[in-house]
Amino acid sequence: MMRIRFANVATIARREYLVRARTRSFKAATIFLVVAAVLVTLAPLAVRWFDRDSSAKVGVHVSTTLSFDPIARLDSTINLSATPGGRGPFTFSTVPDLAAGRDAVAKGDLSAVLDLARDPAGDLAFTIVSKDGPTLRIPTLLRQGSSVLATTDRLLRGGYPADKLDALGIPPSVVVVGPTPAEPGQAPKDFAGEIGSSLTGQALVIFLFIAIVLYGQWVAMSVAEEKSSRVMEIVLNAASPFELLAGKVVGVGSLGLTQYVAAIIPAGIALLLQDRIASLVLGEAAASTAPAASGLTPALLIAFAVLFVLGFLLYAVLYAAAGSLVSRMEDINSVVAPMTMVGMAGYLVAVYTSSGLIPADAGWVVVLSYVPFVSPYLMLSRFATGMAGPLDLALASALLVIAIVACLWVAARIYAAGVLTYGQKPGARALFTAAFARRG
Amino acid sequence: MSLQITDLRKRFGETRALDGITFGVEPGTVFGFLGANGAGKTTTMRIVLDILRADTGTVTWQGTPSTDLPRRTFGYLPEERGLYPRMQVLEQLVFFAGLYGVPRKTAAAEVRGWLARFRVPEYADRRAEELSKGNQQKIQFIAAVLHDPDVLIMDEPFSGLDPVNVALLKAAFLEMRGRGKTLIFSTHQMETVEELCDEVAIIDAGRLVANGPTADVKRASGKRVVRLGVAGDPELPWLAELDGVRVGRAGRDYSQIEVVPPRDPESLLHAAIAHGERVTRFEIADPSLEQIFVDLVGRQAAPDEERTLAHLPANGRA
Repeated sequence: MMRIRFANVATIARREYLVRARTRSFKAATIFLVVAAVLVTLAPLAVRWFDRDSSAKVGVHVSTTLSFDPIARLDSTINLSATPGGRGPFTFSTVPDLAAGRDAVAKGDLSAVLDLARDPAGDLAFTIVSKDGPTLRIPTLLRQGSSVLATTDRLLRGGYPADKLDALGIPPSVVVVGPTPAEPGQAPKDFAGEIGSSLTGQALVIFLFIAIVLYGQWVAMSVAEEKSSRVMEIVLNAASPFELLAGKVVGVGSLGLTQYVAAIIPAGIALLLQDRIASLVLGEAAASTAPAASGLTPALLIAFAVLFVLGFLLYAVLYAAAGSLVSRMEDINSVVAPMTMVGMAGYLVAVYTSSGLIPADAGWVVVLSYVPFVSPYLMLSRFATGMAGPLDLALASALLVIAIVACLWVAARIYAAGVLTYGQKPGARALFTAAFARRG
Repeated sequence: MSLQITDLRKRFGETRALDGITFGVEPGTVFGFLGANGAGKTTTMRIVLDILRADTGTVTWQGTPSTDLPRRTFGYLPEERGLYPRMQVLEQLVFFAGLYGVPRKTAAAEVRGWLARFRVPEYADRRAEELSKGNQQKIQFIAAVLHDPDVLIMDEPFSGLDPVNVALLKAAFLEMRGRGKTLIFSTHQMETVEELCDEVAIIDAGRLVANGPTADVKRASGKRVVRLGVAGDPELPWLAELDGVRVGRAGRDYSQIEVVPPRDPESLLHAAIAHGERVTRFEIADPSLEQIFVDLVGRQAAPDEERTLAHLPANGRA
């Protein structure tokens, strides 16, 4: 009968936590993470701040007669994102001479010149003068603008009232709904919100992967360090391998959680204050268009926390077992590689699923989202996009707990055998024997 | 009985490490556990400590199987020395004691006491990696005794120590014995065993080849040693004519001669006088433990080189 002394687990976890927390590298990494998290949170704001005065200058040359002002039409359509006081993607100006316009583009004074002429049938024909290829941003946007101008011209020539032109540009109401009718009182699916939760889901999956691999490696390194410094045998007289394993996982896990919380709290505060910072930096009006923290709901945060803790535990016990098999620190990477590969596969599928490259409702994705080792990533991704609910999360968590118990059982045996074994290459057969041999 | 080891057997793959080891250690004694490299000393110690499990056989202390004993019953100084290199000495010793349930304050006070006894009180705040090997060994000894164990098991405690530190450690041994503790240690320094140990066990290739009070083990072979000094030529050519006699050490001051029964050691004195030698020294003694060891094990004692300990699986205490 195995006796576990929780006091020993706590003592080992405490040492692991304190010794690591005091290292310079930990402090430096934590400060770096905090700064990085805040910067990443405020990055969209920073991009907008840098972009606030930069709009491409485009000249418009009219080689024909028009019954409307093309620049006003372009401003009210493709420059729609322009904010009062700020500017849209383009600043349009009239170019009286096409040759001078070409020169200005060649010199870089103008980004492009849009020339309006008429074809033999009387329709507007456009020429875009630009250094950029036809698929790049400026020509693409100007192509859209050209369609608007051509349509306007056709409408006016067909007798459409000129005073109703502006109303043409107002976007219609579009709602995307699922095949089953919405419950009474339930809001229809919000397209913008869905993009938000998909991005949030992707970000959380990336965080989860980095955390599991990084902190898992710490566990493996800590075990290998103890083994290579030969201190293991002293500890083993006082504590069982199981207690040592558990203490390490708990200690390093708590440390990881500390670092994570240290990074996430300032990032969260920055996120909450984003509107206020935006209004300070960009002005009141501009702030209203700052992207909100869409999709980051309390339910998703709870799901993330549950999957982070369970996913970390599952991988950490295996990382510890792997760490016990090497005698030298430099061999760690090769023994943890298989686990990192499995995690990477789950992570990639989850990221592709969140970004829509793989359909989130594909049968194999749904099945894999319950399979431990990959479920932390896939279930998080499905949960974030609303494809999975609390029950799915509960089922995946229950399966993870079962997997953790099973892995703990195997890992403790590999660990117990591994920690006192020096100089041997860990082969598959040796591992199997260690894990499943009858205990004396 | 006290620490009773009964019929221990252990295999590592094809290698038979222990082949039916049985012996007992009385409480409050100092016990020498001897054997050549790879004889099974470390394996036996690890089984006693329940770090390894035997294939068959039992270990009991005061009648309780070692697997059921509280961990603090034993203190262990392993052969493979190791400390946390970047941790301060005081902090890591308090950590080790904490694993045995010793409160932090008590442990810290004990550590300071021991450091003072070892004449290194200033090491408390140093990191282990800053200390010399010999000093690290002292720290490890403290780690083994801090929780006041009943039985102290030490694998090669004297290896790598200078004579001053050997003397300090011996004094610590005697103090522990004075407190009624049981000390078991392995070493290749036979003089130390003769000096400190009440009893010894010698194992060879996983088997017990001698066991008992140190003096009894030395006498059990029946051999005696005669130290014979003569004036003039130290060569004693006439010795070659005698049966049951072998010159162990020929020196200028005296020769050490092993005498095997049925020859009477005193007959050498008669023979010397009969050959006209002027005897300046004649002494009959037990053979040294070194000689007994070489006779029994057939090899010279030497420090263990680092060896691969075990084929998987090694441990049962998961």
